[in-house]
Amino acid sequence: MLFRLKIIQAIHWLRWAGVLLILLLASPRLKSQTLKTEQGLQKDEQGKYIHYEVVENVAPADSLMDRAIAFFSSKKLTVQQPAGGLLKGSGKLIISKTAFVLTHPSGEIWYNWSFEAKKGKYRFWLTDFLFIPYQRDRYGNFVPSTTRGIALESSPGKLNSGEWSSCVNETGRQSAALAAEFKEYLSASQKAKPFREANRPVSTRSW
Amino acid sequence: MKIKSFFTLSALTMSAATYAQETTSSMPLQISGAADVYYKYDFSGKPNIGTSFANDQNSVSIGMIDLALKKTTGKASFVGELSFGPRGQSGSLPTGEALNGDNSFHIQNLYMSYAFTGKLSVTAGYMSTFIGYEVIVPTGNFNYSTSYLFTNGPFQNAGIRANYVFSPKIALMVGLFNDWNVYKDVNGVTHFGAQLTVVPVDGWTAYFNVLSGRAAGAVGTGSIYDLTTFYQLSSKIKLGLNAADYTVTNHGGGHSGAALYLQNSFTPNFALGLRGEYFKIKDVPDLKGSSVTSVTLSGNLKAGGLTFIPEIRFDNSSTARFVDHSLDPTKNASQFSLAAVYAF
Repeated sequence: MLFRLKIIQAIHWLRWAGVLLILLLASPRLKSQTLKTEQGLQKDEQGKYIHYEVVENVAPADSLMDRAIAFFSSKKLTVQQPAGGLLKGSGKLIISKTAFVLTHPSGEIWYNWSFEAKKGKYRFWLTDFLFIPYQRDRYGNFVPSTTRGIALESSPGKLNSGEWSSCVNETGRQSAALAAEFKEYLSASQKAKPFREANRPVSTRSW
Repeated sequence: MKIKSFFTLSALTMSAATYAQETTSSMPLQISGAADVYYKYDFSGKPNIGTSFANDQNSVSIGMIDLALKKTTGKASFVGELSFGPRGQSGSLPTGEALNGDNSFHIQNLYMSYAFTGKLSVTAGYMSTFIGYEVIVPTGNFNYSTSYLFTNGPFQNAGIRANYVFSPKIALMVGLFNDWNVYKDVNGVTHFGAQLTVVPVDGWTAYFNVLSGRAAGAVGTGSIYDLTTFYQLSSKIKLGLNAADYTVTNHGGGHSGAALYLQNSFTPNFALGLRGEYFKIKDVPDLKGSSVTSVTLSGNLKAGGLTFIPEIRFDNSSTARFVDHSLDPTKNASQFSLAAVYAF
């Protein structure tokens, strides 16, 4: 009987140890989320959210333009033909809802991007953010619930302000991540990747 | 039991962490779900309107809790969705307590899919039906009470189907299915189904559906032809239409009807939706069918994942199919309900 009681007590303590472990694991995550919110989007003269950067770069403007086209194409973003030195296109970001073990896409953000280069520097910006909420369909897949996006600048009201602000923050975070990748791609330090034919077997006969 | 749940939760946590480290072709395990509760009051004081789910009179009742898992690895994916509660059990076939004393959990979706190419995919298993506008999971419906077309149509179809996307505007699904709403078929895979999806303009989607076959014990072959379409007129206004005709050969009866849906989002948090429906039960030998007209006005008040749905509904029948407060037959019924639905 005493042995059984001890087992029950052990299980009880194990439960609490597990809860503490999970809380400990979750706390760095909370901290990182707080840091992420500091990378928020700015607003432009029209009051629209924008991620805007001007970057100094010594590479020729036409070379930067070619690299920019290559980058956005590799990301499978829509790329329009450059006009008057301005390159434009559009893309989308997936916003996911993550809490503890729960994770699923909650919506997508459509945006327009622009790129312009001139001697010694270039600039690019992401703006016109539209949120398309997702809805779980009858088959358990998350799909857009509407085809008309909601401008990210819209007031969500008190009831949905929490979810909306996390959506804005996540948009800012993903925009910043894309921008960092873009700058790295365009930077002079970018190294050429070794050419290798896909799936070509390694030859050990000639060396 | 709690211990078991706890360790299950821990295992899920660990598995989620593992998935996060997998290659990019493997998507993280998706976990989502919904829960709903409701209160309904029929103004006659008697439970009258017999469409699905919101049936308990003058009672704060539960709907169901629904849990869905989805995992995609490369071109293969799996969906498993379980529901617990009257809405997913006794309110839905085939494991309802009326049919099965065990009243086991109800599977909403359990299927595997493989995308052979970007356009062709094949899916096999037990899936929500492709017929109709409304669904079992309350987050998929604007109105809380359901239409007669929904209640009398299929809920789920087990089978195998192939989907081919011709273009972003046209897709076709064809498949072979069991009888309606059964995990296994006792008379073979007897049903053929197809769905043609057309997107005429941006924001407008139309589904032309057919499902035909002879169910076990049926007097004839049942065929349902269904049109489900919706049009997002603007960021605030959405129009929907569902029309269906179901006929069983050899004088087996059937039904037909149409439901029109109009929804307007007044603010990001509040929307109103009106559903008008005409539904007719077909005549069978020695029994003339009746018809019913129904109007339902629902509000959707959203607060994060929570949606409150206040609703008022008026039904008018060609025959005295309802009862009044004295239990005398009457042609009219009306009810008020308030539901809370949480999606996560």
